[in-house]
Amino acid sequence: MGAVSATVLILAGGATALLQPGLQQGRLSPGAQDVFTSVARAILDGTLPQEPAASQAALTGLVPRIDALVQALPPHAQAELSQLLGLLGTGVGRRTLAGLAPDWRSASIAEVQQALQSMRTSHLALRLQSYQALHDIVGAAYFSDVSTWPTLGYPGPLTI
Amino acid sequence: MSSLQDPIRDGLKRGWKVLGGAHGARPERIVCDVAIIGSGAGAGISAELLARAGLQVVIIEEGPLKSSSDFNQKEAEAYPALYQESAGRKTADKAITILQGRCVGGSTTVNWTSSFRTPADTLRYWQQKFSLSDYTNDALAPYFQQAETRLSMGPWLVAPNENNDLLRRGAARLGIPAAAIARNVKGCWNLGSCGMGCPTNAKQSMLVTTIPTALDLGATLLVETRAEQFELANGRVQSVRCIAVKPNGAPVESSSSTTTIIAKHFVLAAGAINSAALLLRSQAPDPHGRLGRRTFLHPVVMSAAIMAQQVQAWAGAPQTIYTDHFLGTQPIDGPMGFKLEAPPLHPVIFASTVFGYGQQQAAMLAQFPHTHVLLALLRDGFHEEAAGGQVKLRGDGSAVLDYPLTDFVMAGARRALLAMMEIQFAAGARQVLPMHESARPYDSWAEGQQAVQALAMQPLLTKVVSAHVMGGCGLAGTQAQGVTRPDGVHWQLDNLSIHDGSIFPTSIGANPQLSIYGIVNRLTQGLVKRLTGQDLTLA
Repeated sequence: MGAVSATVLILAGGATALLQPGLQQGRLSPGAQDVFTSVARAILDGTLPQEPAASQAALTGLVPRIDALVQALPPHAQAELSQLLGLLGTGVGRRTLAGLAPDWRSASIAEVQQALQSMRTSHLALRLQSYQALHDIVGAAYFSDVSTWPTLGYPGPLTI
Repeated sequence: MSSLQDPIRDGLKRGWKVLGGAHGARPERIVCDVAIIGSGAGAGISAELLARAGLQVVIIEEGPLKSSSDFNQKEAEAYPALYQESAGRKTADKAITILQGRCVGGSTTVNWTSSFRTPADTLRYWQQKFSLSDYTNDALAPYFQQAETRLSMGPWLVAPNENNDLLRRGAARLGIPAAAIARNVKGCWNLGSCGMGCPTNAKQSMLVTTIPTALDLGATLLVETRAEQFELANGRVQSVRCIAVKPNGAPVESSSSTTTIIAKHFVLAAGAINSAALLLRSQAPDPHGRLGRRTFLHPVVMSAAIMAQQVQAWAGAPQTIYTDHFLGTQPIDGPMGFKLEAPPLHPVIFASTVFGYGQQQAAMLAQFPHTHVLLALLRDGFHEEAAGGQVKLRGDGSAVLDYPLTDFVMAGARRALLAMMEIQFAAGARQVLPMHESARPYDSWAEGQQAVQALAMQPLLTKVVSAHVMGGCGLAGTQAQGVTRPDGVHWQLDNLSIHDGSIFPTSIGANPQLSIYGIVNRLTQGLVKRLTGQDLTLA
């Protein structure tokens, strides 16, 4: 994803100082947290608890799990993810890479899902790669916690 | 945490020499007879025989030493601790996700125990195309036999779980023969957690067999230590420079964290991709441009089926039934053949396999207990349009595999999706979902067949994974055709042996662990003879 750097330069008009890295000291920046919370709400729509407070708690609990997942990634993967999240955190990046007009916090589930679909069906490899990265990180982080296993009907490992 | 014995912790208490990480500081310099890079399938076999020959052996492992007390059957712990890149290593275009081990025991600590000798077809191809005249069934048979004995490989006599039996039943309805897979287990509890490290020590991985034997005989093991570069001079390896690494593979920034190991002979067994990468970083001689090329993956495509009955694909021994039918429906150098197996499913791997989002994904996820998955291992390396990939280095020296998924390979993938779908409907599936971004669940073979014929079989849109990394330092009988001589020694570096899956000139066409054990067994016995004059056997 050296393509991300190239895209960043083109879109930001070379003013890469404007791009806040998505990872700071190996953890999601506030902007990156907004991206993931919004994306997760859309991806996990139908899987998250229905009751609003429980749903919000589940999303809040997801962020530290994503941090843990990211911290375990090798340096090259952290660097790429940091660039991707940084780019998605800018208005230009969000519109061109994600295809989302409203900002992450105020976008509705339907709007984010439309954006995800546009990434998923894009002819640009970078958009499809980015969609898959977001999808896989959200899924892996969410279902790594035992509290989510009842929705899967998974009883957990046998105690030995 | 189980209350069962932990042979690794017992060994440490007995005084095993283990350094690195929490086990104690590494010295700046070590001198020994043989340095082994890696601790997986090839490294373990090599370490045991060399230590038994009385040689002073140092084993260098980039991952941590984890054992049964640590194996809690939880993916969130296992993937970051035991796998390369947290089980998320990808090819350069991100189209293939590679599962490969990174811990003591290597991929053998996290594999699914499937034991197959190298198919005769594959060996014949090596003899003919790579001038490997002594790689015959008959010549290798005793070495396979010894490995099977040493690692308790045998028929698995417990009834297959439903996820596997569905393959057998569906195939049978179509007149396709399927058979049981032999496994390297002793006293297996039939849990299904092999991929997270065996919590009962039943799986006879290198972690609980050859590495302990070598350590009991006085070998030294460095963990959380990565071999960065060989120092080369006069056609020989002089030393290997190693650094301490953090759990995520980042170098530990410290002036005192470099260890130089000087040895008479070096055994490179870091696994495909990593072995080639170390040689690239070392600027090893490569006069014919073979290094890193022809790296193979058995690219895997998958098909999920929703059954009326409970499947519970997380429970019970994984991968106990297979069919090689589709390897034989065309010549080995014709359209790509594939081997069918049924992988285990656990929550995290399931969630990242199920495509889509929102209500559609939620509906699939809720069907987890009823979900049966088949996988197809595509046999790469036998056709010019399936020539595998090339290992390259990033700016930070880390390895990346550039593996283009050609139209030829993707045509094989389409045929594999069709074959799996037909078997799943024959087994009574209510719905079948090929793992592809544009697919949706299909309610009948007629509907699904038409849909899959029309799918855009592009990389990224098609979910492709790999659990078998092979090649990149291929064996060949002539210098121009490979990196490694038939006796396992590097063509240009006289005291460097390569004893891992990177030496395969093509993919194996079967799960590769036993191919590595058997072939490396022969290579190491030859090395022991040359270094010490002794005749040793593995069992």
